[in-house]
Amino acid sequence: MSGMQFGIFTVGDVTTDPTTGRTPTEAERIRATVAIARKAEEVGLDVFATGEHHNPPFVPSSPTTLLGYVAALTSRLILSTSTTLITTNDPVKIAEDFSVLQHLAGGRVDVMLGRGNTGPVYPWFGQDIRAAVPLTVEHYGLLRRLWREDVVNWTGKFRSPLQGFALAPRPLDGVPPFVWHGSIRTPEVAELAAYYGDGYFANHIFWPAAHTQRMVALYRERYEHHGHGRREQAIVGLGGQVFMRPNSQDAVREFRPYFDNAPVYGHGPSLEEFTAQTPLTVGSPQQVIERTLGFREYVSDYQRQLFLVDHAGLPLPTVLEQLELLGGEVVPVLRKEFAVGRPDDVPDAPTHESLLAATRTAPDPTARESERS
Amino acid sequence: MTRLAVVSGGLREPSSTRLLADRVTAAVTDRLAADGVTVSTEVVELRRHGRAVMDALLTGFPGTELEAAFETVAGADGLIAVTPAFNASFSGLFKSFFDVLPEESLSEMPVLIAATGGTERHSLVLEHAMRPMFSYLHAIVSPTGVYAATDDFGAVDSAGGLAERINRAAADFTRLLTSCGPRVRRDPYAEQLSEMRALLGGPD
Repeated sequence: MSGMQFGIFTVGDVTTDPTTGRTPTEAERIRATVAIARKAEEVGLDVFATGEHHNPPFVPSSPTTLLGYVAALTSRLILSTSTTLITTNDPVKIAEDFSVLQHLAGGRVDVMLGRGNTGPVYPWFGQDIRAAVPLTVEHYGLLRRLWREDVVNWTGKFRSPLQGFALAPRPLDGVPPFVWHGSIRTPEVAELAAYYGDGYFANHIFWPAAHTQRMVALYRERYEHHGHGRREQAIVGLGGQVFMRPNSQDAVREFRPYFDNAPVYGHGPSLEEFTAQTPLTVGSPQQVIERTLGFREYVSDYQRQLFLVDHAGLPLPTVLEQLELLGGEVVPVLRKEFAVGRPDDVPDAPTHESLLAATRTAPDPTARESERS
Repeated sequence: MTRLAVVSGGLREPSSTRLLADRVTAAVTDRLAADGVTVSTEVVELRRHGRAVMDALLTGFPGTELEAAFETVAGADGLIAVTPAFNASFSGLFKSFFDVLPEESLSEMPVLIAATGGTERHSLVLEHAMRPMFSYLHAIVSPTGVYAATDDFGAVDSAGGLAERINRAAADFTRLLTSCGPRVRRDPYAEQLSEMRALLGGPD
């Protein structure tokens, strides 16, 4: 796999199908998520990422359990998250869970970190949303050390100290999972990603492109500022949201009731307005191809494109059909077209193999960490 | 040059709320002109943004035209805000506009509040609804507001009449504007970034 990665990300919502009035059970939704992940591999996509939520109507409260199961059923697919909550999860547990997952999946694992914006969730895990930003910085600083140092002594503000803590198991091949920092609109996340030279994933959906453009530009500028490379070499991912049928009018007709009733944007702007204002594309595979290729015009050449295809109550057979179109007609063209004019020094999307290869040629990756501590 | 933004929450066209907004704006502009200050005025008629305001409440982001209206307000040196009184408060549309206006847009901005209503009985809407909201938004609310009941528009100008009240409010607001000077806009985006940079351990 080289160049860009393409895949899907799921929120994991249990939503009533507005056309039938039927609500899937939690068990059905979880099984459907597994079926969707398997299909993603079958149709040739590269990445499957699951959200993390701890309240109804969402089911993915334990992402590495889900991804571990998917790992056993797949062989190529990269398993990721969208996002793993760096605020409310204990960094020690994140380090353990993803280390185990790496070993089980043979390295087909990365992680996207996010803060989480649901205030009531924080106290359930002993935290406070008012401290979300300092909590993010402290937890992530610790997580990095856990994955990079054999024995960690650590003190901080938000967690009990660690003395002589040794992570078990160590990350596969001593290479931590690649970290993306996911963000909808806060500039802090772009700064954090840039500071550490990690990937930056702009959620992109539900918001106008101008916001994404500004955030990605900030991340690239700061990535260069912090000395990780030139701005064009920063690692960028984008979300996207599509619904396709071979005939675009069919896509609009079929998707409209789902759009009109969706919890995130229903009962507000029309489908046409929302499509014009945000990256949502409802139409033919060709329209999706053209719109997606247009993303490059405002974020430059990037590394990862994930699509949201399974929300708003869309039934499983429909979602699987979407994946057939995505894998069969859209992504092959995107791979080809995005490769055209892509400068040689724009990095490929990181993988376990590429990171492992880099450690063999680069100086000790812990050097920079210990300078700071 | 002083940039004045006017937000008028009248729902009809023509609207007595807009009429009051125009008279207050003219009084302020005349006073500034008398002091040799050039003034630019931009009016935001909320009715035209009615659906966009509701969409922004539901989606979390403004459409293009509403965003331009936000810029008009946030980029001003002073604001004249006028609403009809509904049910002992400002209109829902008026409140909703300020609910979706980005944070810090009104920080340290001189604001003249004014309202219209069917009878004089609603005049405290200025003090009980408008002033607390703008104070909460960190605006500097001018001490004198203007309330106009339907009767005021028909009355012959007399002592204590609408014209005099407008002039008094305009005089206070103009003094406030002049002493505040050109407004430096807060940039929450940059402030968030500097907070993060400080947390990561460095000034840059």
